[in-house]
Amino acid sequence: MKQNADKSRQTAARAAAFSRRHFLRGLGACIALPAFESLTPTKLLAAAAIEPLATTATGAPLRAAWIFFPNGAIQDAWWPEKDGSSFAFSPTLKALEDLRPHIQIAGELDHLCALAGPDGGGDHARGQSVFLTSHRIKKSATDLHASISIDQALAQQIGHLTRLPSLELSCDNEHKSGACDSNYACAYQYNLSWSSETTPVTPESNPRLAFERMFGAGQPGERWANTLRVQAEQRSILDFVMDDAHRMARRLDNRDRDKLDQYLTGVREVEARIQAAGRFGPPKDPGTETPAGVPSSYGEYLNLMYDIMWLAFQTDSTRIATLCVAHDGDNRSFGEIGVSEGHHDLSHHQNKPDRMAKVQIIDEWYVKQLARFLKKMESTKDIDGQSLLHNSMIVYGAGNGDGNRHNHDNLPLVLAGAGGGTLQPGRYVKHGSKPMSNLFLSMADRLGVKNMERFGDSTGRLQNI
Amino acid sequence: MRQSSLIAVLLAVAMSLFVAMSPASAASPAREFHKQIQPLLSQYCGDCHFDGMKKGGVAFDDFKTDRDTLTNKELWSMVLKNVRGHIMPPPKKAHPSPEECQRLVNWIKFGVFGIDPKNLDPGRVTVRRLNRVEYHNTVHDLLGVDFDTDLAFPPDDTGYGFDDIGDVLNLSPMLLEKYLAAANTIVGECVPMVSRVRPEINVPGASFHDSGDPPSHNGGTKSLSYYNSAWVENSFHAEHDGHYKVTLNLTTTEHYVDDQFDTNRCRLVFRIDGQERENREFGREGYVDFHYSFDEQWAAGDHQFSVEIQPLTQYPQLRALALRLNGVTVSGPDDTHYWIEPKDYRRFFPRPVPAMDDKAGRRAYAKELLTDFATKAFRRPVDAETAERLTDLAVSRSAETNSTFEEGVAHGMVAVLASPQFLFREERPASSGPNPLIDEYSLASRLSYLLWSTMPDAELISLASAGKLRANLDAQVKRMLADPKAAEFSRNFTGQWLQARDIEFVALDSRAILFSQEKKDPQMEDLHDRYRELQRMKHLTEDEKAELAKLRERFGKTFRRFDGIRFDELRGALQQEVQLYFTHIVREDRSVLELLDSDYTYLNQRLAKFYGLTNLDITGSDLRLVQLPTNSARGGVLTMGGVLAVTSNPTRTSPVKRGLFILDNVLGNPPPPPPPNLPALEDVKSDTGHELTLREALAIHRGKPLCASCHDRMDPLGLAFENFNALGMWRDTDHGEPVECSGKLMSGESFQSAGELKRILVENHGDEFYRTLASKLLTYAIGRGLDYQDTETIDRIVDSLDKSGGRFSVLLDGVIKSAPFQRMRPAPSLGDQANAPTKAKI
Repeated sequence: MKQNADKSRQTAARAAAFSRRHFLRGLGACIALPAFESLTPTKLLAAAAIEPLATTATGAPLRAAWIFFPNGAIQDAWWPEKDGSSFAFSPTLKALEDLRPHIQIAGELDHLCALAGPDGGGDHARGQSVFLTSHRIKKSATDLHASISIDQALAQQIGHLTRLPSLELSCDNEHKSGACDSNYACAYQYNLSWSSETTPVTPESNPRLAFERMFGAGQPGERWANTLRVQAEQRSILDFVMDDAHRMARRLDNRDRDKLDQYLTGVREVEARIQAAGRFGPPKDPGTETPAGVPSSYGEYLNLMYDIMWLAFQTDSTRIATLCVAHDGDNRSFGEIGVSEGHHDLSHHQNKPDRMAKVQIIDEWYVKQLARFLKKMESTKDIDGQSLLHNSMIVYGAGNGDGNRHNHDNLPLVLAGAGGGTLQPGRYVKHGSKPMSNLFLSMADRLGVKNMERFGDSTGRLQNI
Repeated sequence: MRQSSLIAVLLAVAMSLFVAMSPASAASPAREFHKQIQPLLSQYCGDCHFDGMKKGGVAFDDFKTDRDTLTNKELWSMVLKNVRGHIMPPPKKAHPSPEECQRLVNWIKFGVFGIDPKNLDPGRVTVRRLNRVEYHNTVHDLLGVDFDTDLAFPPDDTGYGFDDIGDVLNLSPMLLEKYLAAANTIVGECVPMVSRVRPEINVPGASFHDSGDPPSHNGGTKSLSYYNSAWVENSFHAEHDGHYKVTLNLTTTEHYVDDQFDTNRCRLVFRIDGQERENREFGREGYVDFHYSFDEQWAAGDHQFSVEIQPLTQYPQLRALALRLNGVTVSGPDDTHYWIEPKDYRRFFPRPVPAMDDKAGRRAYAKELLTDFATKAFRRPVDAETAERLTDLAVSRSAETNSTFEEGVAHGMVAVLASPQFLFREERPASSGPNPLIDEYSLASRLSYLLWSTMPDAELISLASAGKLRANLDAQVKRMLADPKAAEFSRNFTGQWLQARDIEFVALDSRAILFSQEKKDPQMEDLHDRYRELQRMKHLTEDEKAELAKLRERFGKTFRRFDGIRFDELRGALQQEVQLYFTHIVREDRSVLELLDSDYTYLNQRLAKFYGLTNLDITGSDLRLVQLPTNSARGGVLTMGGVLAVTSNPTRTSPVKRGLFILDNVLGNPPPPPPPNLPALEDVKSDTGHELTLREALAIHRGKPLCASCHDRMDPLGLAFENFNALGMWRDTDHGEPVECSGKLMSGESFQSAGELKRILVENHGDEFYRTLASKLLTYAIGRGLDYQDTETIDRIVDSLDKSGGRFSVLLDGVIKSAPFQRMRPAPSLGDQANAPTKAKI
């Protein structure tokens, strides 16, 4: 029965490469717009005076993003030789050299909750799901139990400022069938964000749908009207389905009611989005073609997702975003750059030079894609005349240190952007074995979030960022 | 007895405490343990698990209390598996008699697990959300729409290897938003929103013909190459004078070729009645649809369309560029007098809509339509209140300006598809009391989602509503298996159990795999790396171009041998082989042991060639049942290319993955996950520094006790298949060395080849396979992981499989008639719910 669908998906994938060019061409035009005055969120600036949340001193939006890459990195090639501001770029991070004033390399930050402890194997599941939760996850194939992730915790506080409270993206559009890492539920390995202890936030892996979520479906010029029409349609059935869910929940028991509760949470979020659309009015349409779907080339796919994130920040559609470039344990092969073995297999390199060299090629490739995104952020002007990158805090890192050792300390990490002038980039800082969650708290402080005393296994704030 | 008297006294005290604290029935398992079981264990397991011996962390004489003994279900479950799997006691030790085994097994099941054989606990199934496959199929059956859920929804999380497990099928806010959008899209796509529309007729591309030839009545498309001049035409008969809209529909196509680009262009000229309407150049565009519309004022009579192709360039023809003429759509005339009922109108609105002023009549009609639709969609009768609320939605929408009756009803249908009653499979008990049967509507859904991955059809629902489904269960199951929809069962069950779904996207590098079968030559490898590097580069200097040409000359020859092997083009056939093979066993009610070994399989021409079975005279692309030659290495799922490929690494085989696959999916005794921080087994270095064969590397690893405990079980199983490369093709050598497949199982049997291993599995391990397959099928059927309490259910199915020689129908019957499938644990009463902790703010 699904044969047709399969065929159309292949066609869509083939079409995607073509459309990406259209999409990007359009985005080029978008950069040329004069400084986005039209974007100035006047209501927000007014609000900022009372409540300086997620706002820079110069009144521009302050954004935070977390980008996750899989299977750790070759350590020697990742870390620079000297620390402080005189550090020299390491081979893996070389692609970031042009961005030196905007890059901070953060060393000696740990996720000790991802250690095996009594739970045994499963460092990929843990590396992934601890990355933003800083919390020990329950080892179970079905009984999910983690903790709210930092992006969601922050989105709960500042999400009302933007059309989308947060944006979750991933490049895993296919999931392997069968069981996942060491009897951990697959949900641990494919999600970064969690809105509660038991609810992972499914990321969007389809660039077209991510785009439409921000700007509406259809051609430029008709998207807002489409959004309003869709929302009117949604609104008119929300009462009905809400009522239906309540009535159904009464017939069911607790575990089932949890599922119905997820449904109702979703309904409430749709309501909130409809209200937000009313409050914010039409979004600034980037005026480009909608991306067609998932490109067949992984490189194009990843860049397209980066573009979506860039677009989200540029149009102030959200100030909180996460991107999982591939889930931990990902075994993609990189024929495009001459590495045909699987990434995960290679990452168990056993210190064999030829395998390490190949992992390093992959590490470098990933950093190159990051650099491309950061350069785009740097060359885009924000409403205060600074660059988007200046007004952002972008964490790029992995949940395993060295893929061969599965360690979770001294995790490879880059902190890009100046946090609107609150960070001191251009340095390599060794933090002396601190929990990664301390970094998260420091980011929360800069976003103006007040009531976050602790997060996960945090022991305080990072002093030197 | 080996315990000291002190321990005996302590035990007695502990036992009496235990008796005092436990229900009376629990006292006997403890007594039985001391009288019957411990002596047995002492006799057969004493050397390693008594008197301070604690091999594998297991001792049977150091339980502190009887409570400890009886609550350690994990330990006893392990004992059960290892004893039944002939892993314990080890092959060289004395073995308990079948009666003794049975005594131990019964004690574990009824004593430790506390199973009541007269009243089996059905277990608890969390309400299941439709997964992507089920949603797709359900919408298809409900509305005839082929909605691509793989594009629209994120992948479903899986649990216990399947994607229909209630506990892990979460519903994120994003997914809910997508469900709302999907409901709109689907209804919008199929339900007519008006009573009359402008007529629209498509003149299919395939019916366009050279001016000489007669028209064909083929309804498909026509492909027009960029490289050849062409002129095709067709005519259209307009019934009436009037204004028409004519739309030309094209898609640009190509055959993708890695790293080769085709820069040819062509010109397309479209004419209506000889007048040029479109004139446009096309380059390589990828797969893109183009639509061009024209307004025509026509007199009644024939009108002529022609499409002309003029090649513009003569560059190398690398990608078979073509314009696919999908057809020409004619819409009109505009005059509403000639308008017609929309397509499929009667399917949704079987009667004319009552007149505008007949409000009661319109309301009654809307209610009738929505009640019927909701009943189908919810897979049980819709309650009166819901039907009333749906009708309200429809009536109020119809009452809006510029809205129609049809739009109102469609709006109600959107609400139905967005409702949790549609998205979740709610199950209800047929009666009150402990472990009641599920009601027949729930049963109808369980059956149809198990065997069809879709909603129950009219016959199932009508039997359920008459309360006659259980009475006709056998006949219905038979009918369902004979239905073409049962292909979904094979597709989804094997897709996950045997990971056949992954065949579609598993990353494999055919050239590297084929290349590695030959002896390593570092110099050649460097040259080859350089060759591939040059191939990837976009802009080459003249020198580099020359170098590339030279290397192409050199490697072109080497690779010509591999040319027939395009793994990407085989993925579909490999996947189908698994599905068709399984379907054959289902349809013909064969023994499920044939899944492990047989003398037949399904092949098409390409697959036969891939398997090296070139003398079977198989032609064409359709797979068919093929009798394999005697001594063929194929037969059974374990030697199917697809299964071998998904258990490989991108450039080489993985005996560990293959071994694990068999332990997990055939023998049902997977080892525990590896301890953390261990490198993958195959990556060990030799002390002398020479490059190790995979087999050598594995052997070195097994020398380490920590690794040996699991890898002694996995590796021999996997190594048996070393004659099959990572693509699943036969090979005799690996890196130029002959491949060696012999090995020995933990249970003692030796084998020389995969074929022998398959026979050993069938002859000596049939029960384990029955148990594994029954467990997998029951998990898939009820949507939850199995627990200790399910042991007896599975044992009963295994017994009947034993008696029937493993017939598939016996397996399915056992699952469908089992307590977990037929019954449910009742929801706790409201009082319990009020006390139980819950986050649900409902």
